[in-house]
Amino acid sequence: MSEVESRGLIGFDQETSRRNFLKTAAWTGAALSAMGIGGFGVAVNRADAQAAPYTTYEGLGDVAILQFAYQLELLEADFYAIGVDSGLFADTFLTQVAAIRDHEIAHAEALAATIADLGGEVPATPEFTYPDGVFTDVVAFLELAATFEPVGIGAYQGAAPALESKDILAVALSIHNTECQHRAAINILNLVVPPNDVAFEEALPIADVQAAVEPFGITG
Amino acid sequence: MQKHTVDVPGAEEFASRPKSRRDFFKTLAAAGAGAAGGSLLLSRTASAQDSSASASASASASASASASGDVDIANFALTLEYLEAEFYGLALDAGVLSGDALAVVENLFDHETQHVDAIIGLLEGAGATPVAKPEFVFPPDSLASQAGVLELANVLEPTGVGAYLGAGPLIQSPDILAAAGSIEGVEGEHVVAIRNLLGIVPPADEAFPAALTMDEVLAAVAPFIMGGMMETGGEGYRDRNSFGRV
Repeated sequence: MSEVESRGLIGFDQETSRRNFLKTAAWTGAALSAMGIGGFGVAVNRADAQAAPYTTYEGLGDVAILQFAYQLELLEADFYAIGVDSGLFADTFLTQVAAIRDHEIAHAEALAATIADLGGEVPATPEFTYPDGVFTDVVAFLELAATFEPVGIGAYQGAAPALESKDILAVALSIHNTECQHRAAINILNLVVPPNDVAFEEALPIADVQAAVEPFGITG
Repeated sequence: MQKHTVDVPGAEEFASRPKSRRDFFKTLAAAGAGAAGGSLLLSRTASAQDSSASASASASASASASASGDVDIANFALTLEYLEAEFYGLALDAGVLSGDALAVVENLFDHETQHVDAIIGLLEGAGATPVAKPEFVFPPDSLASQAGVLELANVLEPTGVGAYLGAGPLIQSPDILAAAGSIEGVEGEHVVAIRNLLGIVPPADEAFPAALTMDEVLAAVAPFIMGGMMETGGEGYRDRNSFGRV
């Protein structure tokens, strides 16, 4: 903690956090009801409800979903690898960022192996681009990390119900959980107290995920 | 490049184990998660199944079985959420927490309470009956100090993660799966928050969190579920645990 404080990162504003939390909670509640939660998909009335995020992944097929997820993992792995090498971090902070990097690499490799097993083509590594300064300023880096993780979470959570293979679903859920753990870990590095600040994770429609990662070089 | 296995430990086993409602309850009973607990779960969900079956007489047998499977899983998850919510409520009442730990546990209590409410809403919305909250018992040490609270939390949360990861692939309804995924990730964040308070570095240390089998989940929570008294559950859970607290 003192490490970040010494770099001038301001202590966490509890009131801001609480407001954001309540906003998130309200949004999540609305999202859950919009998704038709309250039925078992049998008698759900969606007449005035927005389509559930998972419907935007339906029909893509498992291979296409994995190919997209693979590129997200490559982006995260690349971002954290540069962060580890940047010299911005030391001690326990470095240990956590390096662990996240390793997780993303493991995810990418697992997804590549699965895509290959399914007979799909493993996408080439995109040429990633990042905003200026994210690898020279620890606050900027951690802020970007804090925006990356919810995108990964939202993508896996959104795609999960659309996956056809239950085995792949099991893997996707496990990776999803890790991305959520990363979000909490990044909160810790950002001195967010408490770091466990949402009651429900948010699924994202694929268009939102695509829009979020396009600026970094993922166009597939 | 060496192929990395994508098998999530335990997921396959979990998925292959409870092949039917009967197996599910046999597993429950065999684990002895309180004799009354098993039978209550059984009777409640059995009556839910009866009503849903009569409501949709034309539904095929397999469709009916799938729907009831989701009810079983949701009720199982509800029991775990009851357990977590009760523990954190008691931990707050015990007055042994301060600082960051207090802030973290206040949110843990709030989240688990919201999960309880969400799952009850899911079940009732589907015309099923949510299970009643069992009577829980916790080791005195777990509520006697901040370290005790965190230590037990560090058992409960990974169990919750493993249960959701194990049950997820068994869920038939995409809407239920979407809701489960939303909760599953939060339990993972809880793991990290608790590990951080315990000084474990790095707090996020799992590339592939493991799914747990039903047996493993039941073995982990059985010590906290009391036999007897489950039919009534004492006074109302909400009243007793101040759900209006947050």
